[in-house]
Amino acid sequence: MSRSFLRFLVVSMLAVLTFVVAACGGNDNSSSSSTTKSSGGTTTNAAEAPAKKGGTFNMLAASDVDFNDPGHTYYTWGMVFTFATNRPLYSFKPDDGANPVPDLAEAAPEISADKKTVTVKIRTGVKYAPPVNRDVTSKDVKYAMERFFSVNVGGQYPGYFQPIVGSPAKPTKGVKPISGIETPDDQTIVFKLKQATGVSFAAALVMPITVPVPEEYAKPFDAKSPSTYNTHVAFTGPYMIKNDSKGSLTGYKPGKSIALVRNPNWDAKTDYRPAYLDAINVRTNATDANVAARQVIDGQSMGLDTNPPANILRDLVTKIKGQYLSVPSGGYRYFPMNTEVKPFDNINVRRAVMAGFDRDAARKARGGKYVGDIATHWLPPDFPGFKEAGGYDGFSDIDFFNKNNEKGDLAIAAKYFKAAGYASGKYEGNDEILMVGANADPGKAQAEVAQAQLEKMGFKVRLRLVPQDAVYTDWCQVPSKKVGMCGGAGWFKDFADPQSMLEPTFKGSLINRSSGNINYSMLNDPKVDDAMNKAALLEGDARLQAWADIDKMIVQDAAAIPFIWDKTTLAFSKNVNAVANPYIALWDLSYTSIK
Amino acid sequence: MASYIARRLLWTLLLLLVITAVTFLIFYVLPTADPAAQRAGRDPSPELITAIRHQLGLDKSLPAQYVDYTKNLFLHFDFGQSFINNTSVRSLIFDRLPNTLFLVLGAAVVWFVIGVSIGIISAVRRGSFWDRLLMGGALVAISAPVYWMGLVCLYLFSNDIGVWHIFPGSGAYQDAHGFFAKCWSLVMPWLVLSAAFAAIYARLLRSNLLETMNEDYIRTARAKGLSERRVVLRHGVRSAITPVVTVLGLDIGILMGGAILTETVFNIDGVGRLSFDAIQRGDLATIQGTTIVLAAGVAIMSLVVDILYAFLDPRVRY
Repeated sequence: MSRSFLRFLVVSMLAVLTFVVAACGGNDNSSSSSTTKSSGGTTTNAAEAPAKKGGTFNMLAASDVDFNDPGHTYYTWGMVFTFATNRPLYSFKPDDGANPVPDLAEAAPEISADKKTVTVKIRTGVKYAPPVNRDVTSKDVKYAMERFFSVNVGGQYPGYFQPIVGSPAKPTKGVKPISGIETPDDQTIVFKLKQATGVSFAAALVMPITVPVPEEYAKPFDAKSPSTYNTHVAFTGPYMIKNDSKGSLTGYKPGKSIALVRNPNWDAKTDYRPAYLDAINVRTNATDANVAARQVIDGQSMGLDTNPPANILRDLVTKIKGQYLSVPSGGYRYFPMNTEVKPFDNINVRRAVMAGFDRDAARKARGGKYVGDIATHWLPPDFPGFKEAGGYDGFSDIDFFNKNNEKGDLAIAAKYFKAAGYASGKYEGNDEILMVGANADPGKAQAEVAQAQLEKMGFKVRLRLVPQDAVYTDWCQVPSKKVGMCGGAGWFKDFADPQSMLEPTFKGSLINRSSGNINYSMLNDPKVDDAMNKAALLEGDARLQAWADIDKMIVQDAAAIPFIWDKTTLAFSKNVNAVANPYIALWDLSYTSIK
Repeated sequence: MASYIARRLLWTLLLLLVITAVTFLIFYVLPTADPAAQRAGRDPSPELITAIRHQLGLDKSLPAQYVDYTKNLFLHFDFGQSFINNTSVRSLIFDRLPNTLFLVLGAAVVWFVIGVSIGIISAVRRGSFWDRLLMGGALVAISAPVYWMGLVCLYLFSNDIGVWHIFPGSGAYQDAHGFFAKCWSLVMPWLVLSAAFAAIYARLLRSNLLETMNEDYIRTARAKGLSERRVVLRHGVRSAITPVVTVLGLDIGILMGGAILTETVFNIDGVGRLSFDAIQRGDLATIQGTTIVLAAGVAIMSLVVDILYAFLDPRVRY
């Protein structure tokens, strides 16, 4: 071997060694923030902590908001900004995710004795940001709700507001008046309902549909197809997205960034929010989750949009501490079984699957114990009806699904397979199950876990991996595609009422046979529907107990396998006083501050 | 030359037409996300989806949709509307194209200079320690995945999460203002993106130059008393570099469609990131738009390269 070649080898090896040692030494830096922290700060909400005004908060997010238009947004990430920049009739303070407080409204809604009329008084002194620059009136809330039903706006949850008299059954061409919404004066709005559903209707008034929209300003935008109000929103909250004199959102760059500044017309005396920060800058294209998480943890005045990667989460919980906040997301993740597709049309087969399915393995696929609790029924923790449904223990009298078989119990599964006619105690049929999952983790990992679980019970599974958006819009929401099991679905609360957690996903009469179907299990049990119709008219403890009973009925019907009650973990820099809003289980920018 | 350029441009237009047709077919015929359902959102009613489908013209026949799309594209330079971002695809692409160009052209300068320099040194000092070191290093640079290299560089050298706080980190480009600030924020992305290309060019030039230096006219140049530097640079490299120029043009053209991995790691809002996000989310109009940009980039750069040939090699005439 020649001397020059030897020299080359030695130099190369030294270079590689240096590289590896330096690269592996990175972790020590990230633990420097934890050495002096004494408390874990796991679920401490800093809403009550003394906070100082001022500063700029920088957020790194992997994706953009769905919409800025409060009449169209429906994802919680979009609502982080909707609720920082707008004022719905009612909203939630950080310390109570179950009881909304008046926001644009002056007081709690007045529900008539027959529960068919709901009256709300609008606060005075709430003013739009420039360029609208006038006081909000009740007519603005009326217009906001009417435009919601127009096809140009495309409101996504009409079912909650179709109980209003005169509300359209189909999307309207243009904005049409709704006779059941009355505005006798500038500060009063009255809702007339078709049925005695005033209680659930009032609960739904926390949704962004009730954010006021000035008609004279928004009408030209709403006339376009689709509406361009999304990039010309009029703001009423403590913050606003930067805009120009025509109202065009210059601070919103789709897929890139959002810049929030203080609303000069916001009057703190009319609002419970403290609004400590001066500005919030959000980068909506930080797709490398590991890099973004490390920048936030090691940086200053920064926050991550949502859950960090599993490896970072583990470090936050076990080593770093004090720089994360864990919030129940108020939802569940589940594997629906299509009750109209063989072999899941047999209830004993479904019960067997629920018994034998390892829910812990599915949770591990999403990141392990730090991402949530194993679900034992449907209504999630800290949610109305959770305690009545057995809490974390669930229904102990249901042998195929309870807290004791979270790792799967093949003996009980065998019992139900035998009851279905499979003497071996495993599935013996020839039906192949079509499963559709996302082609990127964690959706991919959890779909693969589900596939493995089914195959161990004797099923043949054809797993099809597609882009995340297509999982629902093109497969699971389209009954004609006959998807046997959606490889991971999730549902999160629309408002703090168990009806919103169970009805959209399991009511038979809400099945859409063409597309956009949310009842992925195609559960069409008249007893469940009947119970839901009755429970919708109840209030107080009776209402909670009734929905808890429906939770049990759905478990007994074995329509789907809930496997996790999600938690959202927010990571942030050392100098941030992070506050989460329990309604959206994400950041509350009106309470977050810089230390 | 002018008629040649005109003919090539016409061929490019025809090529783009074929590409729009193929892209259209792929994404509309193969199963992907329903654009109307995506626009409608999370829990849409069938009536809303139908209304939106009509609003967006998706209920027309496929040929009619294709004709509408092509007419808008070629007559109005309208790439359509992104269903995900609720904005025109043209604004999305052209907002990001300068970032990609800045990244790619800067990296191209870096990799060309480094690659050519290394190739010349290695060829001239063939068999020496430096030749072995440089070619070994080139092999490592070719083998190392761009994504991995980018992450390692961030973890070593970025001024926020790095071991040594030297260069601006991920996302710095977006926050930089001014030409020089942007250049500084692109030092690591340029180096990462150019590493593999520089290595390939070095190896390519080295082997071409070694072959060229054995030619008779090189011996004649030496015999005439020209300095070795002049012989190598003026005569040897000039001949050996033409394949490298071809590859350079094609590489720049392809990267104009976006250096996806580099843009993702360093959080640079480029066309590559846009196309990746669009594919992930089934945003058909944006996928079509970025595909057309990529095709146009390759076609235009190959025309530029062909024209450059005429200057590099006097024998080439059109």
